[in-house]
Amino acid sequence: MLNLLKHELQSRWGAIIGWGIGLALFGAMYIAIFPEVSEQMAALADLSIYQAMGMDLGSFEGFISSSVVLFIPIMLGIYAIITSTQTLAGEEDNGTLELILAMPLHRWQILSMKAIAIAVASFLILVIAGFGNALVLDAIKATVEVDVTPMQLFVAVLSGWPITMAFLMLGLLLGAYLPNRRSAALATTVIFIASYFGENLAGFVESLDAIKPLSLFYYFDSSATVFTEGVKAADVGLLLGVAVLFFGLALLGFQRRNVTVGAWPWQRSRITE
Amino acid sequence: MSERVIETRNLTVYYGKHRGIKDVNLSVKQGEVFGFLGPNGAGKTTTQRVLMDVIRPTNGSASIFGRDCRKEGVAIRKRIGYLPGELSLYPNMKGHNFLNMLASLREKKVDRAYRQQLYERLNFDPTRKMKEYSQGNKQKIGIVAAFMGKPDLLILDEPTTGLDPLMQKIVMELVREARDDDRTVFFSSHILPEVQAVCDRVGIIRDGQLIKTERVESLIKRQYKRLYITLRQPPPTDAFAIEGVTEMGRNGQMVMLEVRQGLDKVLETAVAFGIKDIETPSVTLEDTFLAFYDRQNHGGNHAQSTQT
Repeated sequence: MLNLLKHELQSRWGAIIGWGIGLALFGAMYIAIFPEVSEQMAALADLSIYQAMGMDLGSFEGFISSSVVLFIPIMLGIYAIITSTQTLAGEEDNGTLELILAMPLHRWQILSMKAIAIAVASFLILVIAGFGNALVLDAIKATVEVDVTPMQLFVAVLSGWPITMAFLMLGLLLGAYLPNRRSAALATTVIFIASYFGENLAGFVESLDAIKPLSLFYYFDSSATVFTEGVKAADVGLLLGVAVLFFGLALLGFQRRNVTVGAWPWQRSRITE
Repeated sequence: MSERVIETRNLTVYYGKHRGIKDVNLSVKQGEVFGFLGPNGAGKTTTQRVLMDVIRPTNGSASIFGRDCRKEGVAIRKRIGYLPGELSLYPNMKGHNFLNMLASLREKKVDRAYRQQLYERLNFDPTRKMKEYSQGNKQKIGIVAAFMGKPDLLILDEPTTGLDPLMQKIVMELVREARDDDRTVFFSSHILPEVQAVCDRVGIIRDGQLIKTERVESLIKRQYKRLYITLRQPPPTDAFAIEGVTEMGRNGQMVMLEVRQGLDKVLETAVAFGIKDIETPSVTLEDTFLAFYDRQNHGGNHAQSTQT
């Protein structure tokens, strides 16, 4: 069973390195340009749109949290959608799953190893990105006065992992129930976008405040307080709990379903117990 | 008595309203090579996927080595080598890395010397990435994957697809060797001469129903005989309008007949016109298979499964 995990991780090394370096460069760019743009950003800080979105662009902490800390998980969300739907639905679509199912492994073992592999891969991507950003911050600390330490930035970047996990497992879940990868990817993307923009929109309209908790992004803190107060354990626990729930449901669906059939659940074989 | 390796009882799979297979009852014994024949969409792949627990039955049951395919799939698959009909591989993996990965997922150690021997016999280079392989070479990976663990049961879906005739022959040799080791092979194929050459028994499936299961030689013998009779006098066109006899054509004085029953009446009629020569061309499994389908398509009722 661990050999399957090894294979799953090996097949993701390229993506881990590529995404990790890409996101490190993305963050590094924002950190590096702050000394140049800090005055313009301070001028924008009073705009109501940014205030409504909880962004404080006038400070380094606010600028970095609303750019690097927020957008790294959003971009990693693209990776989450691609990789989670490829992991199950994609492998079923292209037929490689059939040979793995022919091995003496339980289905729960196959799905668990795949889930662990994508969880580890996304974590390593954030470690690389966080480490790269921390290095750049350390380098510019000599030229600009900031209160954020490289370690705080590293932790803040890593704080994107729980929400990434929730969307990874959502993709896996939809891949376990929907007929093909395309529909699973589409559904995950719609939920991802709706979750992000729904949470932002609710920030503008007071009457929508009550629906904010329905968005997974509600539990992801990308404000400057992530540096001062740290990551909220309750939010991390909730997002990881949702991820575990999605994984459990994916497992349930995958355990019971016909593979290689590519149909909607009600079109698949009725299984007798 | 040989152990029954595969056994299905009223095995039925429906995909929603669409029929996959219906009431398939088959039994394959240890050390047997069983050929599973049928046109595309007949239910061959569905049956094999149920045996591998990739697809679950709607009704009925399937067991291998006396164990239920659903409930004890892992224990069963330890002893199975499987080649899917639609083989797909990871394009960026090298052949030997992929085979190493599959070997590592099995408890039973794969004999490296035997695997090397398979590479050599199949003239296969495992050091390249799978996206660089031709269709035939991809098929060879699947064949090595199925055979390398010397499993007790091989389930092969169209194993010679994409292979050249030389390689097809080698795969059939591997099948024979498996049988010689008292291992069991269950395979589907469209290439009927190879089925005839290597199989002990065949099952014919049509529209999801197993319509015949029989030893290859008796199936061929029982179905019909071909008689090419050259007569001294030309008989009238309806001379051989006998029940169980089909006149396939005439070539001068020669009348070409397929005789399922009523051989004595055919000979009586022929004697009346004076027999100059009689030929009995051999009937192949392909002829039998095609005749079988032809009859089924023309209203014959042969939907009863015959176990032999």
